[in-house]
Amino acid sequence: MGVFILYPFVSTVVNAFTDRRTLIPGEFVGLANFRELLHDEMFWIGLRNSTLYVVGVVPALVLLPLLLALLVQKNIPGIAFFRSAFYTPVVASIVVVGLIWVWLLDERGLVNSLLETVGVGRVGFLSDQWLLLLSAMTVTVWKGLGYYMIIYLAALANVPRELHEAAAVDGAGAVRRFLTVTVPAVRSTMVLVGALSSVAAFKVFSEVYLMAGPDGGPAGEDTTLVMLVQRTGTGLTGRVGYASAISVVVFVVTVALMLLVLRADRKEDA
Amino acid sequence: MSVAEKVQGVPPAVDAPRRRGRVTDEHGKRVRVWELALRYVLLLAVLALTVGPFLWQLSTSLKGPTEDIFSSPPKFLPGDPTLHNYERVADTIPVWDYALNSLKVATANVVTNCVGAALAGYALARLRYRGRRVATLVFILAMLVPVEGIIIAQFTTMRELGLNNTLVGVVLPGCIGAMNVLLMRNAFLNLPYEIEEAAFVDGANAWQRFLRIALPSVKGTLAVVAIFAFMGAWDDFLWPLIVLSDPEKFTLTIGLNYLHGTFANDERLVAAGTVIAVAPLIALFACLQRYFFRGVGEGAVKG
Amino acid sequence: MRIPRRALAAAVVALVLPLSACGSGSDDSGSTDASGKVEGDITFQTWNLRANFKPYFEGLVADFEKKYPGTHVKWVDQPAEGYADKISADAAGGTLPDVVNVSPDLVAPLAKAGLALDLDKAAAKYKKEYLPGAWASHEIPGMEGTYAFPWYLNTGPLFYNKSLFKEAGLDASKPPKTYDELFDSALELADKSDGEVATLANVPTIEDFGRYGVELMNEEGTGFAFNDAKGVELLTKYKELFDAKALDPQALTATPESSGKKFLTGAVAMNPGSALDLGNFKKQAPNLYKNIGITDQITSTGKVNMYVMGVMVNARTKQKPAAVAFAHFVTDAQNQMSFAKKVAIFPSTAGSLDDPYFTEQDGTDETRVRIAAAKSLTNAVNYTPVLFSEQMKTELRNNVAKALQGKSSPKEALDNAVKACDRLLRQQG
Repeated sequence: MGVFILYPFVSTVVNAFTDRRTLIPGEFVGLANFRELLHDEMFWIGLRNSTLYVVGVVPALVLLPLLLALLVQKNIPGIAFFRSAFYTPVVASIVVVGLIWVWLLDERGLVNSLLETVGVGRVGFLSDQWLLLLSAMTVTVWKGLGYYMIIYLAALANVPRELHEAAAVDGAGAVRRFLTVTVPAVRSTMVLVGALSSVAAFKVFSEVYLMAGPDGGPAGEDTTLVMLVQRTGTGLTGRVGYASAISVVVFVVTVALMLLVLRADRKEDA
Repeated sequence: MSVAEKVQGVPPAVDAPRRRGRVTDEHGKRVRVWELALRYVLLLAVLALTVGPFLWQLSTSLKGPTEDIFSSPPKFLPGDPTLHNYERVADTIPVWDYALNSLKVATANVVTNCVGAALAGYALARLRYRGRRVATLVFILAMLVPVEGIIIAQFTTMRELGLNNTLVGVVLPGCIGAMNVLLMRNAFLNLPYEIEEAAFVDGANAWQRFLRIALPSVKGTLAVVAIFAFMGAWDDFLWPLIVLSDPEKFTLTIGLNYLHGTFANDERLVAAGTVIAVAPLIALFACLQRYFFRGVGEGAVKG
Repeated sequence: MRIPRRALAAAVVALVLPLSACGSGSDDSGSTDASGKVEGDITFQTWNLRANFKPYFEGLVADFEKKYPGTHVKWVDQPAEGYADKISADAAGGTLPDVVNVSPDLVAPLAKAGLALDLDKAAAKYKKEYLPGAWASHEIPGMEGTYAFPWYLNTGPLFYNKSLFKEAGLDASKPPKTYDELFDSALELADKSDGEVATLANVPTIEDFGRYGVELMNEEGTGFAFNDAKGVELLTKYKELFDAKALDPQALTATPESSGKKFLTGAVAMNPGSALDLGNFKKQAPNLYKNIGITDQITSTGKVNMYVMGVMVNARTKQKPAAVAFAHFVTDAQNQMSFAKKVAIFPSTAGSLDDPYFTEQDGTDETRVRIAAAKSLTNAVNYTPVLFSEQMKTELRNNVAKALQGKSSPKEALDNAVKACDRLLRQQG
């Protein structure tokens, strides 16, 4: 079992220092791959997009699921159904989700039909560089809502109700209570969600690949780092060594991101 | 190194009753009518957003060849619902055989993950041995490697083991997901240690404590792991494609790719294919959701 | 339970294995001798053909097994997506099937790794059965030999929407033939429709550069050359079209499916296709079908582009005589002819295109398209260089897109593309 957990990691790191290709065994090349990265325009585009993805997706995934959790927290009739229904996007495979959304956002798909009906006109969700990235982010948030909602639901269960009641007695409105009672109580969970979602966002592949295509949108401007790993490293002419070097960068950044989020949390604690 | 410790991120146990799961309002104030109405309006709005796209896909798949699927304003209900598109899917690929293969792989994956993740998670959470932290770290690191770059190396390994072109080969790499191990570890960590300690004093060994005390308390987390494992195996495309060579061993996602590759222009057919792919998952989830939400109460998904 | 250390050891072992396992790449020890009795079990792999042609291939296998008793052929088909990944994994793992359906760009790396059988040595006697151009399409620059039997050829006409041409005041009976005519009509169409109707839905590909008369590679096959004056001229022209909306604004993210849809809905006036598409038009867009115009591919060289599919033999097959015999059987004149009658493809065997099926009109559009295509094949060229890999295609597409967006000049874009492709070429080894 160690073979399948440790092996990929070690092999990626070792390959990153070779010029290995799919059908040609590699030779040690030192830091050449990493030096090449510095001059690879596509690498910087990928880094930019993966970073943008974190910036765009993480706040939404920290905040929206929390609001959703508050909405489904109260045990009113039929709530079990709503909770399950909100979870369905998590259950569906990303390929299916991709197909569904490509069809929804198609130039003649449902969303554009609706927009045209209300007089806005059609929007090129799947052809503009930035709209494409935004559409992919929307899908990520849509698919992640239910998942993080559950995490918050579990955390909210631990918030003593008395706190809310005390605040209500003091005459605090819903918004004040949210900010002064709920948020502090689930703060550590918010940090955790932030860490998990930023790691996932930085490694984004499927959503962008499915919506922007294997090239990564117009002129490859929507390429993310992991897409670049896939593009350069696979196929019969794949450059396994170079792709591994990109993987190593992805790996280092995700670890750094995680440390950053968690460190920020600890500082506040102190 | 505290990543390992922090990732679990379990908030310090508040004194609230853990096993009760969610807060109920039974003894609380009466909910005002307008507030209740507002809640339902919001709930329905979110429902439309989360489930709507699936229903639109279902509706597209039921529309006949003569019906315009591009119309504006859109038609939400098929004018003349037909199962014709599903028949065409079945004519094109042996969809039932493939679904059976997928089911075998997914079931095996559920079993290995539940057993393996429970054992490994327990070992990480409860057993004391040198290098425990390192082991936890390894599982976390494994989650961070992008799989796209290593798939061929994995295949050559599988080939050395003589397991290429077998369903076992499909299952093996995902048989114990790192994420699942961490989930189980957190669930076990959240159990009050005192009970086990009492059993320890009574002379129960680690194995007995695991089987009789710890495991029954984390059923909900096991349901979560089961769903994740089933989803992962059911949805995977590239790995089964690479490992398998015989068409009779193909899984459903590979089969559906034939549809997409051959009839990319036919939205109705592709929609029918996606419905076939997603329906079993929704059904499974509907069956397990009770345990699932209980698992949430155990704090399983917190990390 | 000391996972780490033991796992580490296992990982190191596993790591070293694949590095050494495929180490003996080009110095293949297997002989190229294919004489001997045709017998034994072989596996034949096709590329996304099962969904539509299952009965044909089952019949083909049965015929072969009947002709050579003692042989058994296992037919496997792989989906369209991930085919290169599948072959890569099999090649690296030593599980490549005996007979494999390939395209020239897949053959090149396999041949370089010593995995494709040199047919000039093993099957030279069959060479004369094929069109010379088709046989040569699996030669690899920088290597001796031919590494796959040519299988079916594909070329298609260009469809155009007559009513859109008429609305713009163009003569619908005289569609453009060369790139210069195309550019003029496209600008006219865009101008008359206020940018509503584009003529083209796709950015120029390597085939377009070829058909425009650009030298794609240097003569030795060691470097790319499509950044010459002629290449820059073509891209400059496309930029002009793009700015005038004569090239669809969404061309940068177009897929074959999306451009097909645009043509169906009348947003684009011309689209390449095949005889297969006619049925699709009839069903999905009856109005368009009434106004459909069919013309030859645009070319300034007088030679249309064709795609070649090949059938290669695994150099390490244990049943060399049977594998070669079967690869030849699949691609022989008779079997290619009957395949061609099932679907709109063309045989690569000498003389087959003279068959009445490809020369005699019967009044239907399908036949008209087929005959025109067959005629154009007599001097068609497979413009895509054999060594042009997926990664290179991406480089070209992305640089072309940059030029169209105005982020770089056409000259800069093509210089960059050539530089990147040259580097990739060197790294292919």
